[in-house]
Amino acid sequence: MATRTADVRLATPAPSAPPSGAGLWQRMLRYRWGYIFIAPWILIYAVFGIYPLVLSFYLTFFNYSFVRPDDLAFVGIGNWVRGIQDPLFWQSTFNILYNQAIFITLTLGLGLGTALLLKGITRGGRIFRTIYFIPVVTSVIVLMTLGGYLTSATGPIQNVLVRLGILAEPIFWQSTFWLPMPIIAVINSWKWFGVSTVILLAGLYSIDPQLYESASLEGANSWQLFRSITIPQLMPQIFFLLVVDFINGLQMFGEVYAMFDIYGGNQHQALTPVLYLYAQAFDQSNMGYASTLGLLLAAIIAFITVLQFRFVQRDVE
Amino acid sequence: MATVSPPMSARPRLKLGKLLPYILLILGAIVVFYPFFYMLMNSVKPGREILHSPNALPSQITFSGYTDVFARLNVLLLLRNSLILAISITLLNTLLSALGAYAIAKIPFPGRDQIFGFMLATMMIPGVLFLIPTYVLMYNLGWVNHFFALIIPAAVSVYNIFLLRQFLDTIPDEQLEAARLDGASDIGIFWRIVLPLMKPALTTVAILTFMGSWNDFFGPLLYLTDPNLWTVQVGLLQFQSGVPGENVQEVWALITMITLPLVIFYFIMQDQFVAAFANVKFK
Repeated sequence: MATRTADVRLATPAPSAPPSGAGLWQRMLRYRWGYIFIAPWILIYAVFGIYPLVLSFYLTFFNYSFVRPDDLAFVGIGNWVRGIQDPLFWQSTFNILYNQAIFITLTLGLGLGTALLLKGITRGGRIFRTIYFIPVVTSVIVLMTLGGYLTSATGPIQNVLVRLGILAEPIFWQSTFWLPMPIIAVINSWKWFGVSTVILLAGLYSIDPQLYESASLEGANSWQLFRSITIPQLMPQIFFLLVVDFINGLQMFGEVYAMFDIYGGNQHQALTPVLYLYAQAFDQSNMGYASTLGLLLAAIIAFITVLQFRFVQRDVE
Repeated sequence: MATVSPPMSARPRLKLGKLLPYILLILGAIVVFYPFFYMLMNSVKPGREILHSPNALPSQITFSGYTDVFARLNVLLLLRNSLILAISITLLNTLLSALGAYAIAKIPFPGRDQIFGFMLATMMIPGVLFLIPTYVLMYNLGWVNHFFALIIPAAVSVYNIFLLRQFLDTIPDEQLEAARLDGASDIGIFWRIVLPLMKPALTTVAILTFMGSWNDFFGPLLYLTDPNLWTVQVGLLQFQSGVPGENVQEVWALITMITLPLVIFYFIMQDQFVAAFANVKFK
């Protein structure tokens, strides 16, 4: 049971009579409003979910431009071979993993630290939670405009750093190779760590205080309490944040689109897989190849998610 | 003498151990708030000073950024487009998701658990897979440069069904059974009993959906290429590149106008905002 700790609650199967032909039909008729009420979702998902998924696989075998649909050319697995050998795709994958490693460490670390501080205080917790959550309402374009201005060579942060002598001269970080991904990760954690905080704080409050009491009686210090009670008890929340952040983060687009050209800068230092896919689709107008890149990225996401599940399972055992 | 003097323990003694968390939390709050402070300040600061003395307070307060941005950009059109999209998506999605959640939570129709299991599975599919084929589909439907391309696929969502179902689970079945015995139909029960009961959860879902649509950038970028259909987010990005440095306060005025309504709205309804993110239940 403990192995699937992070699973969101599934529907409790209703106790139902064994279906017999006529009985089933009668129950379907009796509960027909159930089908009618769920029909909008089924219809919309069939058209804008399932059909595109099938089309996506189909398109990978063609060179296809939606502006010149007659030029449809069958290329077999050519797009797949090209994708696996495409250095720009792997560069974009490297960039996004580099970015996410920093982003996830920062949001989880800041979220956990803030949650622990908020749990420890007796007054004013609500005011702090209110403030820490404000950035969540900003849009990605506003976020990047704010972040881009604050960190720019003429902006307030570098201005102070230069005056203090920490920086010799202002840095145009967008055109460096190594700086864009960490700086975008910092800007994004400013926006998102409030969400980690409230989820982890709810987790902290759900830990049974008796666990701490009995361990304290046995002489455990606060670091041991943190290691052996807080972290294991918070695993469902941490795991949830890890999986959701990764799935969303690997599909980053707006952050880099707002600040760089669609190939992620002169050295492709800010090229993400979705940005590259966008460039292939709307700049090179090659929907077949763009579709293949989407599937490749989805495969990478699935692979990492499975790894995370494995890791947590082993951790629990 | 009925007055009771407060016990001594109620007066906390100042200790560093107790003060330190507050100091850290206040520092954190300053860091979090600092960008918003710059946003507000720069929107009333002369453009020249924004560029040359970024850390100084404005020497004079000017609202020319606000007036100029209206002169150079059709802000009202952008706001109108964003509002049309956000309001229609929010109304449709809240209603249809509530219907779906009611069916999943309270109507034991055959196949219900299978459909719900399938729904949960679809949440794990990364959105990037739908990007290209959906664009091809919209293009062939003639919905590029039509609001339908953004409204119809967003008319109902699994995440909202999931959140609302969690809430409906807390309503006892007996309450609905009583109405059913009185002869009320499912649609009647939904309108007269379930919807009013669900109000707090509906508010949360509506807020989340509205914010998602208002802040959406990728969707409008893909499907609304006609400047007459641009939303505030697309308009902001396009406007930025065309503003010369001396007039940069116009960009800040626009950012403030886009962001401030949501921030104020957040302050009023903050519990529902937070619930939209933190209400996932864990085993």
